This record gives sequence, C-alpha cells and structure tokens, in this order.
Amino acid sequence: MDMDTALLLSILAATVQSGTPILYATLGEMFTERSGVLNLGVEGMMIVGAFTAFLATHLTGNPWAGVLAAGLCGGGLSLLHGIVCLIFQGNQVVSGLALTILGLGLADFLGTPYVGITTTGFQAFAVPVLADIPVLGTIFFRHDALVYLSYLLPPLFWLFMARTRPGLALRAAGEHPAAASAAGLSPVRIRWCGIFTGGFLAGIGGAYLSLAYTHLWTNNMTSGRGWIAVALVIFAFWRPGRAVFGAYLFGGVMALQLRLQAMGANLPSSLMLMLPYALTVLVLLASSARGGGRAAPAALGVNIEPEE
Amino acid sequence: MSDTPHTPTAVAPEPPRRAREAHAHLPPVVRLEGICKSFGKVRANHDITLDIRPGCIKALLGENGAGKSTLMSILAGKLRQDSGSILVDGAPTLFASPRDALRAGIGMVYQHFMLVDSMTVAENVLLGQSPDMVLRPARMRDEVAALAERYGLVVDPAARVGGLSMGERQRVEILKLLYRDSRVLILDEPTAVLTPRETDQLFEAMWRMADQGKALVFISHKLQEVLTVADEIAILRRGEVVDQFSEADVPNQTVLANRMVGRDVVLQVDAKRLTPVDTVLSVEHLFGPGLDDVSLTVRRGEIVAIAGVAGNGQKELVEAICGLTRPASGEVRILGRPWREFFAGPPGRRGLAYIPEDRQGLATCRQLDLVDNFLLTTRNLFAKGMFLDRTEATNAVKRVVWEYNVQPGDIAASARALSGGNLQKLVIGREFFRKPEVIVAENPTQGLDISATEEVWGRLLEARSSAGVLLVTGDLNEALELADRIAVMYRGRFMDVFDKDDTAKVEAIGLMMAGVRPGEPETEA
Repeated sequence: MDMDTALLLSILAATVQSGTPILYATLGEMFTERSGVLNLGVEGMMIVGAFTAFLATHLTGNPWAGVLAAGLCGGGLSLLHGIVCLIFQGNQVVSGLALTILGLGLADFLGTPYVGITTTGFQAFAVPVLADIPVLGTIFFRHDALVYLSYLLPPLFWLFMARTRPGLALRAAGEHPAAASAAGLSPVRIRWCGIFTGGFLAGIGGAYLSLAYTHLWTNNMTSGRGWIAVALVIFAFWRPGRAVFGAYLFGGVMALQLRLQAMGANLPSSLMLMLPYALTVLVLLASSARGGGRAAPAALGVNIEPEE
Repeated sequence: MSDTPHTPTAVAPEPPRRAREAHAHLPPVVRLEGICKSFGKVRANHDITLDIRPGCIKALLGENGAGKSTLMSILAGKLRQDSGSILVDGAPTLFASPRDALRAGIGMVYQHFMLVDSMTVAENVLLGQSPDMVLRPARMRDEVAALAERYGLVVDPAARVGGLSMGERQRVEILKLLYRDSRVLILDEPTAVLTPRETDQLFEAMWRMADQGKALVFISHKLQEVLTVADEIAILRRGEVVDQFSEADVPNQTVLANRMVGRDVVLQVDAKRLTPVDTVLSVEHLFGPGLDDVSLTVRRGEIVAIAGVAGNGQKELVEAICGLTRPASGEVRILGRPWREFFAGPPGRRGLAYIPEDRQGLATCRQLDLVDNFLLTTRNLFAKGMFLDRTEATNAVKRVVWEYNVQPGDIAASARALSGGNLQKLVIGREFFRKPEVIVAENPTQGLDISATEEVWGRLLEARSSAGVLLVTGDLNEALELADRIAVMYRGRFMDVFDKDDTAKVEAIGLMMAGVRPGEPETEA
C-alpha cells in the first residue's frame, strides 16, 4: 500500500467518524419532523448530551452510562419543546431556537469547571472478520461501538416507518393529524413520542463528541453540527438512506479540512473551517432547487388545535 | 330534463336490490328522538324524530341551511344536541366525540375527506385499525381489495391517495368505515364532488351496501338523486322534518320540490315598488364553467333575485360579475362599461359593491380590527397620497357602527369578536358607505336571526333608490319578499325570468328550481 492510498483510506475512515454524530442528530430530527414537529433545538440538545455524557462517564467510569445520560437529558430537554408546542400551541420555530440558546448556555454554565479534563470513553476496536475486508474493512470496521450502533439506525428507522403500526401512526400525525384523530389515534401523544425520540438521538450524537470523537469536554464542542443536522433533514428529503449520504458528505469535508490543515496546506485556516458551513448553504440551495420542500411531511410545523 | 347536457341519474341502472326484504323486519339500528339544536338564536334542528333502519337508504332532503348537516353531525358525535336522545339498538346513547359514535358503529363520510395523501389506500384504511405490530403490505392490500370487491368500491389498494380522483378518495373513506364494520354510514352531499359516472358508481355501491344490511343516510338537496337512490325520504325545512315518505308512497318530484322549498312566511317587509330607471348591470349570453348562456339586466331602482338550489351556477355568475373570474365568453357590462374596462381601473371608487356569502373568509379578516376591516374596500376614500387618514376612517366607522347598530360596537376589537349577523351589518355598512350603484348580495341573511334578517332586508330595499341590486339567494321567501323580478337558475342557466306579480310563475318556482318548466310534461326520475 503506497502513501497516497493510505492517506485516502485514513481520510475516509475519519469521514465515518466525523459523520457519525451528525448522523445520530439528523436521524433524530428526521424522526421528530416525521411526526409533524419542527424542533430547531438540535444544537442545544446535542451540546447538553455531550456534556452530560462526559459528566456521567467521569463520575461512573462507564461510557455506556454516559450515553444513556446523554439520551435522557437530550430527550428531557426536548420535552420543553413539547410543552410549548403540544400543550400551549406555541410557535415551533421560536421554541426550537430558544431551546438551542438554552442548551448552549446550560452546557457552558455547568461545564466550565470541567473544561480540559479528560475521561475514559469509547475505544476503537476492529470487528473480527469484517475488519479484514480490503478497503471497506479499514474505512468502516475499525471504529468504536457508537459508530457500529449508528450503522443499524437507518435500516431500523426505515423499517419502523414503513413496516410497523406505530410508524404508520407517526407518519399520519405528521401528514394529517385530523385524519389520524378521525382514525381513533391521538396525534398529540404520538408527537410527544416523536419529540422525545428525536431529543434522545440528538443527545447521543452529542455523546459521541465527548466520549468517542474526543475524550474530553470543551465549551461549544458541537460547533454548529446540530444546525447541519437540521439542514440535512431537508437535504435528505426526510429519508433515512439519504441522511447517511448527507452525514458522511459533511463528515468528509470536516475530515478533509482537518487533514489539509495538518499537512500545512497553503490556505487560510478560517477559510477551511468555513467549508462545512458553506456546504450547508449549497446543499440547501440544491435540495430546494430539486423541490425538496414537497417531500416534507404535510403538517410539519403546524400545531394541532385542541378539539372543541 | 332532455335539454340539459348531462343527467347523472338518467343512465343509472335499476336498483339491483335483491335483498331488500331480507332486512325489512329488523328494528331500527338508530332512532333519533326529539332532537333539538340551536346556535345562538338560530334554530338549526327542532324536535326531529327519525328512524334509521338496516338495509335501507334514507335520504335527508332539504335546502342549504335546512339543518341536514347539523342533524347528522349530532348523530356522528361531532355536535351535541340541546335536547332529545339518540337510541342505538333501542338504548339511549351519549356521544362525547366522533370516536364514540364510530365505536357504536356510526360513521360519516364528510365533504372534506380525512385522508393522508402521501399514504397508500390500504394504509389509510388500516390506519389506527391494524391489529398487528408489524405491517405486511401485501396482506393489507389483499384485505382492502377483498373489502372493495365485496361492496363494489373499485380502487387500487396500492395507489397513493394523493394521486386519486375525488370519487376514488370518497370510496377510500367509505372503505375506512366498512373496515371497522360500521352499521350506519352517513354520506354528506356525497355527489357534490363526483362526475356523473362516479355518481352512478356510488349509487351502485350504496345499493350493494344496503343489500348487505348496512343502514345508509344520504344527505342531499338534489331531487333526482334522492328519487333514484333512496328507499325512504325525510324532508327537512328550517330545522324541522316536514314530511317523511317510505318507498311505497314516494311522491313525484313536483310534490317533493314543493315540500322542500315550501314557503313559510316568517317575516314580511313592506317593499314598495320604485320605478326602475337606467340599466346598471347587463349580462349577455354568458358562458363558462358552470354557466350556460346566461342573460340578465338589472336597473337602478329594482332588486333582481336569483333563486335556485345552491350549486347551479350562482357562484360562477357572481364571480364573473364581481371581477373575480374573467367571463369565458359573452358580455358583462357594468354601469355601461365593458367588464375589462370596468375592472381595469383602480378599485374602491368603482361603484360596485359585493356582499359575499362567505362573510368570514371573503369579506373580512378575522384578526383585523373593525377599522382595518372597514378600510379593506373603502381605503381609496381615505387615501392622502400614500398615507391613509385613519382618524377620518375611525370616525366613519363609528358612524357606521352606530347607524347599522353593530354589536359590540368596540371598533378596536377584532372582527372575530362579532357574531355573524353583526359582521354582516358591518360589511353592508362598509359597502353602502361607498355609495355603490350596483350591489351584488349573495345569501345576505344566511345564518342570521330574524331581527338581523329584517335589518339587512331593510337596508337592501333602501339601497334600491340609488342602485340596482342583484340578490342571489337560496331562500325563496327572501326572493319573494325583496325582489321586483325573479330569475330561477338551474344547471347554469335561467329557467325563466319573471315579475314578482306573475302569480302563475311564482307558484311554479319550486318546480323550476328542480329543472321542470311549467306546462312541460314532467319526467319521471
């Protein structure tokens, strides 16, 4: 294996790693949106997840406890969004933005004493047999447990939506809540589940950053990944398969950008740091040009008025 | 009806009712007893008693606003009756929600379908119904296909609802009810959205459902359809059942028509005739969607009423006259100017006032206050360059609110705070403030109580002195009280236009509304 191939493989493997937290958050937001609720608080739930994952692991020594704590705290924070939108019929955009600001502030406030402390976390291990596949093995099967878990999510997501009764109900709540209600379902209850699940996954996405991507806590460590996830849901036309593609596309740009900096490329670093976000804008432009908005759940962002 | 382009019922086959007698001995599934319901001062249902029997298609016939939909919304659990009871299988039952009614086996197909467009037919039918955790699309499709086959409701179970025609969507709604073994199916004006061919298919499916023991309620204001499909007919007028016919004694459509529109004098006004002067509105040979060679003139000093059952082209005619849609062919002249020229100028000073039927949607903005609502059509009168003189407008609104007795008179309140009658008074006050010379009023007293109706009538009569009024109404009494001349509209054309004093023709309005010209041999439906 020559130098160039080795470099390329390492960048691709890093792509999977940087893409994973975005994938968790994207699938979470996609789940919430399929139930008809727009939650722009992904960034806030992610960073709270990152911090609580770090804290729980720091205290217990068990990274799985960290993942669970991150999921529950991300989900718990999302319930605030549920209270505003499902109980009080508040504006979903405003509530989501507030959630992001709250999450970022909360993590900053609680996390400052812990900045720079390292902790145990997830370690990479090679999956027997699969890791020995040439090329693919190196790219996909020499990571940590959270990456492997993320491989299962998109097919599970699809199966749930297309092939289960609760999935059908969730889609109905997102497309036409009145029809769901007429069929004897409770679209409000369904949306609570949609919101919590989305928050849970966003929290795990955050946990990946503090337990696997790095093994420490720093302020603002999500650095906009939550917003990228929100954009990717649109880019992916609310389909899990395309979410994988989108998440790895962004992961790739992030990995490449880091690698170029490390190699001392003759470009201003701020320009390179900008790359993923510039890509976000391009991706949104491209998907709206392709009519992506039409793929959105019909009742996305529309609150359910209580019945008389 | 030989002169009309298409008659949906004429091609319908004889009812293939093989099993009619099979259910005849069974007791009613549902009995409505002494149902009363009022909205504010408006009495929608009064002391209605009705049996709904298995294997039987019951038609509820009545004009718009007769109380058919209210009654059925009560039966379907959407509304709660003020008094009276619903007996299901002989036992009094209270429905707190449509879900309760569904559980009792009573389902309604609303005019606005409750379907998820992005899902397949099978998914829609099984939504909230499938007993299994895991869905098996193939089996779902088979199940729905079998059900569709059994009742003759042809629709592809794998198709997405978003791509279906209105008729197919309606079949999906019916399948949803059949899948839950509903025993009573209420169809609210089901043919309104259907093509003639689809109407025939629906009737065949209805007969098939009745043959298999379902009880059906068919809400309609179309005489021929009712005569074609129903086993029993109940006629509603002003919230009361005025007649019930069983299959044996179903009368001909003349009798039905007269019973349906029958003239109840609840309010009389003193409408002294004025001498009509110049022509302010003329329509000549107007064709277009829903319109078939309509000609009409309205002169200053008279009210011309267009009577007819809703949906016979009145809306299309009004929209063409008021500039909402461009007339396809024919000529419309307003105040002597051709349509195009008249509507090319700036609005506001035009001299044409439109009082739409949809007061809340088309005439006002619910969230805006009374002054802003007033300015919607009068803004040009208060414009100073690019600015609006709100002080002057506020004073004008205060005057109108006082003069027209709009309650509550708080002009800073949003329009939603006003009841239908008061909102209508405000709209009329606003339109008349512009001193119009042509007034188009569409069902101006629909849903209003007696005193508000009287006031609106008075205003319209008063306005005659300086304007020509075109009054579109589904209320025959209103037409006869207010109008100087009456045009009866049926299927996009005028059956006749005649003077109010022409008693022979006035007597025949009911028939004309059903499409029969007096003196012509009546067609059997």
